[in-house]
Amino acid sequence: MNSDISIVALSLQTAIVATAVTLPLGMFFAWLLVRKDFRGKFALDVLVSLPLALPPVVIGYVLLWAVGSNAWLGQLSVSLFGSTIAFTWFAAALAAAVVSFPLVVRSFAAALAGVDPRLEIAARGLGAGPARTFVTVTLPLAYRGVIAGVLLGFVRALSEFGATIVVAGNIPGRTQTIPSAIFTRISTGDTDAAWRLVIVSVVIGIAALAIHNWLLKRSGPGYARQGGSN
Amino acid sequence: MISFDLQLSRSGFSLDVSGVFDDGITAIFGPSGAGKSTLLNCIAGSLRPDGGWIELDDRVLFSSAEATRVATWTAPEKRRIGTVYQDGALFPHLDVQRNIEFGYRLIPESSRRFDPLELAEFLGLSGLLSRKPAELSGGERQRVAIARALAISPNLLLLDEPLASLDAARRGSVLNYLKRVHVEFEIPMIYVSHSVTEVVSIASKAMLLREGRVAGFDRPSALLLRAAAMGSVVGADPDAAGPDAAGTPTDRFENILDGVIGESTDHSTIVRVGDIEISTRRQNRNPGDSVVVSLGASQIILAASRPVNLSARNIVKGMVVEVWSSGGMVFTEIDAGPKFIVEITENAMSELGITVGNEVFLVFKSSSVDVFDA
Repeated sequence: MNSDISIVALSLQTAIVATAVTLPLGMFFAWLLVRKDFRGKFALDVLVSLPLALPPVVIGYVLLWAVGSNAWLGQLSVSLFGSTIAFTWFAAALAAAVVSFPLVVRSFAAALAGVDPRLEIAARGLGAGPARTFVTVTLPLAYRGVIAGVLLGFVRALSEFGATIVVAGNIPGRTQTIPSAIFTRISTGDTDAAWRLVIVSVVIGIAALAIHNWLLKRSGPGYARQGGSN
Repeated sequence: MISFDLQLSRSGFSLDVSGVFDDGITAIFGPSGAGKSTLLNCIAGSLRPDGGWIELDDRVLFSSAEATRVATWTAPEKRRIGTVYQDGALFPHLDVQRNIEFGYRLIPESSRRFDPLELAEFLGLSGLLSRKPAELSGGERQRVAIARALAISPNLLLLDEPLASLDAARRGSVLNYLKRVHVEFEIPMIYVSHSVTEVVSIASKAMLLREGRVAGFDRPSALLLRAAAMGSVVGADPDAAGPDAAGTPTDRFENILDGVIGESTDHSTIVRVGDIEISTRRQNRNPGDSVVVSLGASQIILAASRPVNLSARNIVKGMVVEVWSSGGMVFTEIDAGPKFIVEITENAMSELGITVGNEVFLVFKSSSVDVFDA
């Protein structure tokens, strides 16, 4: 039972950290893709969505190489922490973040695309700078899509298995998350213990969806987008 | 005063315009695609021209390095230029009061000239402050947009087709509010429109744009004359579809006048417009009510002498101020106290011998006059 608690805690920890990283980054890339015109936009769009089209194991293997001491990311972590982050919970969070990133960016992009850019232009003309315009006009109007994106990213991070097991391993108490623990328990025939974590997964899933719906309701009535031509 | 000389090119379109606008209401008009909104966006700062300069009250808002050696750029949020868009562009997540206060809160206290709640009252919005934009009519939305733009105590008010998405009744009403705003707050305005009716009734000066160039800058009615002579009557653009094509003065010109309800009989009501009285169909309004009167230019008959034994209830004496022709039709501007634009045929004009300075009589039926709330 104690190990169950630490497994769930580690899962939540990696998923929350992964979501906290993808939220601002995903918003920035979504904004770039929706509101800006630049060379290489198509290439960036493909690159951002690429993890979606790859087997997670492939992502895990690429990440393992990237955080290794031969790649610059690995060298950076060696100079900062004295070791690579491979087979630590940081690596699990990184894997979860990379895998959920395309889903987050795509949700945010759809949300931002639904905000009439003329409202942002109007806000600028009324004296709001770019940051204030984003916070007071764009974000409130993109609220639903942003919430959906955060939830999607979080549940994807929570369910991450393939990339995580390659780059972070399946070390009990250190990098073992709910999916990898269930995998271990099924392989070892410990089905009762596996079922316990299956139930925990269902409960967490329901809780995440309930929070999602509650946040959406809070946006209140009269929110409907203003009609209008061109 | 705003002056500009700017150039901008985009694929398939180039804008190269210059002008000096005084502190009155200046209209920019022309067919769709002429560059009206592009010019407005450059002044507002949502679009950066490629070259030239823009100056508002001795403040350089934009200049390219070629124009002034050192490039200048004032971000839109620093310009204090209020803009009213075609469909209002109100913030859908904020109620009316918060929409109006949005910009007001962002300007320094020392430069706040108008109180948002007083603006709301002036524009007849006091009862709607807690409504969301989705719960407003088109006319109410435009009035909120006007209040929101005024609340930043703007140095200049830009109006981009502010009436285009409204029906005829609301159009007259909002137009009237805009006139009152100009008188009350003394803010210079630039009014973009493809509607000759609106331009003539609100603006003191008008700039005609065609294909990104200035095709004329004059009094609105004088500009119509020039536009007709050049065969470039507004709206006669073959590519223009929908409302733009319908903006042709030859079939759509409406005289729009401010009036006050006078006495009523069983079947008719008098509306006073300046010094003259116009007989209209009976109105369910009270004497003293302010109204807007609309009368089609083609609904008026001209007579060289005062006609007798006529069923038409309105016979008004006036003087011919201007005559111009367009597409086989002749337009005359008649000063009868208020000014009327009257449309007649070439033949009628030569038979009547109508020339500038002539005394004429305007004849129209009560039923030709539409009366709207002011």
